[in-house]
Order: sequence, then structure tokens, then C-alpha cells
Amino acid sequence: MNVLDRPWALIAEREISTKLRDKTFIGSTLVMLFIVMVAVILPAILAGKGGADKIAVIDDGGAKVVQQASTTAGGDGYELVRASDRPAAEKLVSDGDAKAALLPAAGGYTVVGKDHVDSGIESALREAAATVGMETNASKAGLTPAQLHSGTKVDVQLLKPGPLPDLVSQFVNIGLALVFYMTALGFGMMIAQSVVQEKESRVVEILAAAVPIRSLLWGKVLGNTVLALSQIVVIAAASLIGLLATDQADILEVVAPVAGWFVVFFVLGFVALAGLWAVAGSLATRQEDLGSTTLPGQMILMIPFFFSVFAGSSAKTVASFVPIASSMSMPGRMLTEDVPIWQPLVAIALLLGATVLIVRLGARLYERTLLQTGRRLGYREALALETS
Amino acid sequence: MLRVAGLTRRFGDHLALDDVTFDVVPGRMTGFVGANGAGKTTTMRIILGVLAANAGEVRWNGELLTQEVRRDVGYMPEERGLYPKMKIRDQLVFFGRLHGLSPDRALERTDKLLERLGLAERATDALETLSLGNQQRVQIAAALVHEPIALVLDEPFSGLDPLAVDAMVDLLREEVTAEVPVLFSSHQLDLVERLCDDLVVLSRGKVVAAGSVADLSAGSSTTYRLVVDGDAGWLRDVRGIEVRDVAGGTALFDVLDGAVEQKILQEALSRGPVRQFGPERVALSDVFREATR
Repeated sequence: MNVLDRPWALIAEREISTKLRDKTFIGSTLVMLFIVMVAVILPAILAGKGGADKIAVIDDGGAKVVQQASTTAGGDGYELVRASDRPAAEKLVSDGDAKAALLPAAGGYTVVGKDHVDSGIESALREAAATVGMETNASKAGLTPAQLHSGTKVDVQLLKPGPLPDLVSQFVNIGLALVFYMTALGFGMMIAQSVVQEKESRVVEILAAAVPIRSLLWGKVLGNTVLALSQIVVIAAASLIGLLATDQADILEVVAPVAGWFVVFFVLGFVALAGLWAVAGSLATRQEDLGSTTLPGQMILMIPFFFSVFAGSSAKTVASFVPIASSMSMPGRMLTEDVPIWQPLVAIALLLGATVLIVRLGARLYERTLLQTGRRLGYREALALETS
Repeated sequence: MLRVAGLTRRFGDHLALDDVTFDVVPGRMTGFVGANGAGKTTTMRIILGVLAANAGEVRWNGELLTQEVRRDVGYMPEERGLYPKMKIRDQLVFFGRLHGLSPDRALERTDKLLERLGLAERATDALETLSLGNQQRVQIAAALVHEPIALVLDEPFSGLDPLAVDAMVDLLREEVTAEVPVLFSSHQLDLVERLCDDLVVLSRGKVVAAGSVADLSAGSSTTYRLVVDGDAGWLRDVRGIEVRDVAGGTALFDVLDGAVEQKILQEALSRGPVRQFGPERVALSDVFREATR
């Protein structure tokens, strides 16, 4: 007698090898890869790889202020551009050759900008002008700069520094949720499509005659989970290379410890959803039916996604425990806040429970509806069906 | 031997199968005929475990047919189904492995079948690029690739031209060994008559006739046909027979009395040349019509 120990492994293998030859799948992966690379590299380029901002001056006083601003500003500082006179300086600004011009005015200076003056430049120049002016005035009054500044220095010390700067952490939160959302939605639709395609082409009848229907479901879920994880690994590797290439490797120290958690949340959430998407496919009889049968799946993804992106921080904390939503918000929270270790553990336990429930329910629905090729079924109808 | 015993299946209020019982004997082709909606496909789907029966069972060599044994049965569903975008070699290897062949063996069998079907040079083409006739061949190959212990073919020859049917029949005869029972349904009664050894006729969910084709089409073996050169009108005066029809030299009559047909032959020969004499075979279509009336 012929023997096949693990039919699901063969189904998973076919699922993977088919996708790897599918041009749309390869194409969309490449597009995602491109977008991620741009997202990683672009901020680095915008954040001043173009060199220091140029500021035009027309006299020595101005030059001194700009130098002072440049030393206190840190980073690349500011670059001094000498202009012969006021109109020449204004022309530099309006042509975009200089970010701003520092021109003498009654009682001090005027900062000239094109349509606006960068607030960083404005405050740096304001502070520098004050310092330079006061030092000049002080020396007239017989004080040294050291005497002038004694007792005025203010330092900032953080008792509990957050792992990431505010803006970056916003980005990371949305980014992680987005990765899960896009992957779960993209692969979800692919799972539903591949199920309905098997129904449409009637090949499902041969499959069902040869192996248990549950094996078909497990094979599909397993194959697509492996594909989704590999896609993420490829994209993660690409962004890693991008970060290294743009000298942003310090972000990695923050991200690396959370990566393992992310994988756990991802796999559990993905598997639960994959079961649902397979059911969405087996309820349909034609590709056109997918629009309505996949609606619940889309909602289950979309609502937590927008919630985890736009909700306030306490709502986000709640969401990070709710199964599925937790896959999108807990890894982000762990990255940007200090989350006690019991929180992700509890969230994982809840998610695991939900995943087992969803997958078991999904398997039951799948078994009952897969061979119903007459017409599209509703979820309620499917639950009422007896096994065929 | 594949035995179907007492299968009953309801779809809502509709009784699709009513106590369907028949045997499919190894080494013999069993034709499964019946009008549309008679329950042929339902019966086959139950045999393959794709559908459950409300009552009755399917037995293989006396034991209940299990999922493990069922995997070794070759099945060609009525509604054709393979992966449209998958290359045909990959596809057949996949189905071979799905039915439990090792990867090497599956590949070996696939290449042999593709060669045999004249599709070897299309092995890396997607199924959907093949003509319908060729797709049908691949479908048959998918049912045969794992050297099945039994074959269930639902309308295997529909949509094929006579030459393609012959080629397919040759392939079946070559692949199917003496231990393998074959059940196939068809609307083409002439084909069934030509190919099948046994016949099961289904009507509105019930088996109305079953047996060997020879027995069934012998019909009432007491009807004879006589063709002579002259006029056969003299038959009307012979005792012990009942004439059904006489037209010129051709007559059809029922023998009521034991050996009277030999006397009639002698009589006919004494009157002139006899062109044809013998029991009248009933066309299968008449058996079918009679049984399903």
C-alpha cells in the first residue's frame, strides 16, 4: 500500500513552491522591499547628509553670531556665507543658496528667510546673538565671559530616558502595526484565493478524496505562515543593510531585543487569521464571492490597526492585550515604552488561547463548506451546516 | 472487490439514493448508466468519501473502506479539476505523492504516463495552455499516476472525439491490471456497450438493472430474426411462434415452443438462400429505456 505520513507537509510544499513561481507574489515582495529601503534610507538623507545649513551674513558681527550658533548647535552646525551687501544676501536666500540671512538692524539683527525661517535656525541665532551681544556688553562693563555666565548654566537630566526619540517611536509603532497588517491582509487574501481557486477548478474533490480535509487546511496555513515569515525576514534583512549603510546602526540596539517577541506575536496572530481566511475562501464558490466572504477578516484586521495607530496611549495599552490587536500593538509598545515583562506574557497567553479557538472553529467550518460548490454561503449558514 | 451496499442519501427532502447496492468486480469494467440526476455522481462521491451517506456502506475486499485504502483509489470527478496554472509534470508528481508515492516513483510514473499520452514535450507547460482534449488526458493520468487499486471514473470520455476515446481506452486497458475493478459512468451507451463487461443501471436513485452486459443485452433470448431472399410471409402460418413483424424478406418472431426455431431454419433453407438467422440482441439503449421507464 502507498503511504503518506504527512499530507499537510506536501500541501504546504506545493503552496510555497507555487507562490515562489508566481510573478505577482515576487513583484509585490520586491515593491515592499523597495518601499522599506526608501523608508530606511530617506530619513537619513533628509536629516542633513546634504551638509550644514548655510546662513548668509554681510558683516563681522553677523559672522561672529553665526559661528557662536554653529558651536552651540551641535551636529553639522551652520555654514557661514559672506555676501557683499544686503541685496546680495537677500538674493542668496531667495535663490535657495542660503537657508537664511543674518542682517544688522537697529538694536540687533534681523533674520531673513524666503517663505519662512526654520525654527531651529531662528532660536539658535536668537540665542547666539544674545550671548554674543551680552559678552560684548559685559566686557564693556568690565566683566569676563566666565563671570558673566557663572550660575546661568542649565543642563537636562532624564531619570528614565525612553528607548527612542518621540517622532521615531511614533514611526516605529505605526511601522510595526503596518507590517503585520499588510502581511496578514496580503497573505490572507492569497489564502482565500487559493482555496476558492481549488473549489472553482474542482481540484478540491480529488484532494479531498486523497487526504483528510483538515490536512488541506493545515498545509495551507503552514505554507503561508512560512512564506509570510520569510518575506518579513527578507525585508528585515534589507532594512538592516539599509541601516548599516546609512550609519543608523544604533537603532538596532533598541530593536533587537524586541524582534523575538515580534516573531511570536506575528506567528500566533497570523495563524489565527489564516484559519479565518481559509474559511472565507471555502464559503465562496467563485473569486467574485471573496469580496463579501472576506469582509469579516478585513474588519478584524482593520479595526485594531487603526486603533493601534491612532488611539491614545491608555487605549493602546488595552489593545495590546486583545488577541489579534495585540499582534499589532504590543511589539510597538515594547519598543517605545518600558513594558513590564508580565504584560507581553499575558498577551501571548490570551492570543494563544484565541488562536486555538479560532483555528478549531475555522477547521470545522472549513470541513463543512469546502465541498459545497453550489453557491456562496454565509458564516451563520455554515455554522448551522452538518458535516456533508 | 468493491462493494456498495445499501447506500442511501438525502438532500433535504429529496431522496437522491435509495438503498443502492452493487459490486464492482476486479479485472472487469463496470459501466454505470442512468439519466441525469439518477444519482451516479452522488454514488461515486460517496465511494470516494467526499460525501457522506445517510445509510449504507462501501466495502473493499469485505472490509469497510478506510481513508488509507481510499487514498489508493484513482478518481476522476465529473467536473474536471486540476490546477490550471501548474505545469503538468509538477501537477502529476504532486498527485502521485498526494496518493502516497515517493518523489522518485511519482516522477518516474509521471514521465511514463506523459510519454504514453504523447505529452512528454509539453511536460513543463501550464495545464491551461493545453487543448481540452489534452487536459482530459492529463486528468486521466492524474487518476492513474499512483497505480490505483481501483478506479472510479465519472464520465471519463465526455467531450472526447472517437479517436481520443480509443486512445484513452487503450491506455486504460494497458494500465489497469486484472486485480483492479473499474467503475465508470457514461451517457454514451454505445461506448458502454463496447467497453464494459458489467452494467449497473440507476434510475431516480435506485438500481433498476445490474449484471453482465451480455446477459442484459441478450434481452428476451426467445426473439429471433430471419432474413431471406424471397418473401418471408410464410412464417405467419407456422405454429409455435408469434410473428412480430414481417417486411419483405425480413422477419422478427418470438419462439413460444422449445425447438421450433431449428425447424424454421430448415424450412427457410428449403425455400431459398438464408442471409441471416439468430436470436435478436437487444440494443443497450433499449435495455436502458426499458429499465428506466
